[in-house]
Order: sequence, then structure tokens, then C-alpha cells
Amino acid sequence: MPHHDAGSESLGKRLLTLFVTIFSISATANSGFAILSVMKDEFVRKRGWFSEDQMADFIAIVQSTPGAMAVNASMVVGYQVAGPLGSLVAVTGCILPPMVVMIVVTAFYEVIVGNEFVYLFMRGMQLGVVGMLLDVLLSLFANVTKKGFVYPLVLVAVAFVYIRFLGWPIPYLAIGCALAGVVKALLFCREASR
Amino acid sequence: MELLIQIVLAFMRVSVIAFGGAYAAIPLVENEAVTVQGWMTYEEFADLIALDEITPGPIIINSATFVGMRVAGIPGAIAATLGAILIPCALVMVLFKLYSRFKGSAIMDNVMVSLKCMAIALIASTFVRLAVAAFMPGGTLTSIQHGVYSIAVMAGAFYLIRYRQLSPLPVMLGCGALNLAVCALL
Repeated sequence: MPHHDAGSESLGKRLLTLFVTIFSISATANSGFAILSVMKDEFVRKRGWFSEDQMADFIAIVQSTPGAMAVNASMVVGYQVAGPLGSLVAVTGCILPPMVVMIVVTAFYEVIVGNEFVYLFMRGMQLGVVGMLLDVLLSLFANVTKKGFVYPLVLVAVAFVYIRFLGWPIPYLAIGCALAGVVKALLFCREASR
Repeated sequence: MELLIQIVLAFMRVSVIAFGGAYAAIPLVENEAVTVQGWMTYEEFADLIALDEITPGPIIINSATFVGMRVAGIPGAIAATLGAILIPCALVMVLFKLYSRFKGSAIMDNVMVSLKCMAIALIASTFVRLAVAAFMPGGTLTSIQHGVYSIAVMAGAFYLIRYRQLSPLPVMLGCGALNLAVCALL
């Protein structure tokens, strides 16, 4: 069952907020992380629909699934806020802007790609995205190191080397990380099952 | 109709193996659209990469819409997008259900921490690539002033979001407008 933490607000109002928030960020940013960052700001910080911890778990779930991160995040967050209908509304809000824009742009693309003002604006936004990613990274890191530094630090380092320098397929990394978690839980079983 | 089904299936194949973020998806779409299906030439596909950079939304959705639109018009664009989201949406719900069911168990807690570590590494990797690309467009640092300016904008955005609790969206738009103003005026 989804948690309807947002108790006081009506379903219709929640769906509208969900749609408007996801639609507007999807219409302006082109990074999945931007969507996650805005979701955190709007749904966790401003509305308290779910906790920072839950959001961190959602990010991990979304990252372990193939496909567009923003769409997958919309699916999960939408479900959490308002059940299956929430998923449908959130995913629609997420794919509508890029689809419509891309259909128009594909029809006129030479003019748009060549426009210097569009290029400069997009480049400025890229700089902002770098700063925003740092915020996402710090929040996630604070979240995983709550119960000790060593294990997360080693795993992050190993995963980073795997992704950046080895370039092997990500699904194996996801399976490996999940297995590492299982092994750790079993090794420290007594402590963990208290 | 047959073509539309073919488009849906093509993007289902792409989406199932599209792990590792937006930039990992581009070569997969290229393989399917150019090599496997022969829907477009590599030159046409190269235009798509430029378009992905300047259009909003997830790169997989942009790519699917572009290819579908080129192959079969607006119905093709819709078919491609649906193909690209159906399987991942189902998979993410399965994971979410598993997570809800086993939340709080020691094994689930440790698996989630481990997957979050992977998420950090993936985001860090994107962070490094974007920081380098933003700092040195085209692979070279054009001037010291430009480098200092780039770092200042990145740091400013970080400060506003993290310590002033501003919503990322207006900060991003502000960065775009600032860059446009600075580069167009100077």
C-alpha cells in the first residue's frame, strides 16, 4: 500500500501538484538528476510527503533499473504520493514536454541547433547542473554514512573505479552491490537482528 | 501498423539494457536505429546528439521521439516513447514492491545502503564528466577568465541550492540567463 502521508490534502490536489511539478522540471532540465533534485525539494523539503531517507531509497531503486531515470523516478514517487493513478499522472507529466518539444524541434532542427543564444543559455544551465549535482552527492553521502564510514566509502570507491575506469556493464555492478549488502548483513547478522 | 510495432519493439530492446544514465543510452539507440534497423544514416543520428543537448527531458525519450518521428511521423514518435518506458516502468515497480515488502529487514537495509553507494558512484561519474565539459567546452580551456567564471557559476548554484535552500529549477534558469547575458554582452 502506498503511504498517503500527505493526509490533509485531497487526492485531486496532490495529483495536480505532482503533475505541475514534474511537468515543469521536465520541460526545462535535461538531466534525470535535476528531476530527482527538484522532487526532493518540492516533495520532501516543502511538502513533507515523504522523508529524506525514503527519497534516498527511491534514488537507489531508480538507479538500479534500466531506462530513463526521470521516468522511473516519476513512476515510484507518483505511486508513493497517490497510488497507481499517481504513477500515471507523474509519468505523463514527465514524458509530455520532451515528446512535444522534440516533435517540434525535429521538424525545424537546423535552425534551432545553429542558434547561438540557445547554445549560450544551455551552457549556462550546464554550469548550474554541476553545482546541483554536488548538492545531491553530499546529501546521499550523508545518508549512507549514518551507520559507519568504512563500508560505504570502500564500496563507493570500488563502484566509481568500475564505472569510470573499467567501463564494464552497469547491471553487473548493481547485482554485485546488492550481493555485497546481503553478505554484509549475514556476516553481521547478530548485530543487525537485534 | 507493422512499422509501429517494430518501433515499439526496437525501443523496448534499447530500454531494457539502458543502464548507467543518459549518456550510456546514446550508443544503444545508435546501434538499434542505424545498424540493426537501418532507419537512418550515422550523419542523421549525429544531429540527434546535438538536439539531445539543447532539448529538455530524458535523453532516451528525446532519442526515441526523434527516431520515431523520422521513421513514421507523430504516431511513430508516440510508439517509440511508449516502447522506451513500458519495461523500465514495470521493473522499477517490481523493485519498489520488493523494497516496501522487506523494508526494515537487516538484509534489505544493507542492500539499500550498497545500492545507494552505487548511485553515489554513478552520480559522481556524471558530475566529473559534466564538470570537465562545462569547464572546458570542446576539450580546451579557452581562457583563465572563462575558467574562473565557470567555477564561480557552479559554486554559486551549489551555494544557493544547498545553503539558501532555493529550488533547483529557478537556479538553473538563472544560470542560463546569466550565461546568455555575460557571453552576449562581453
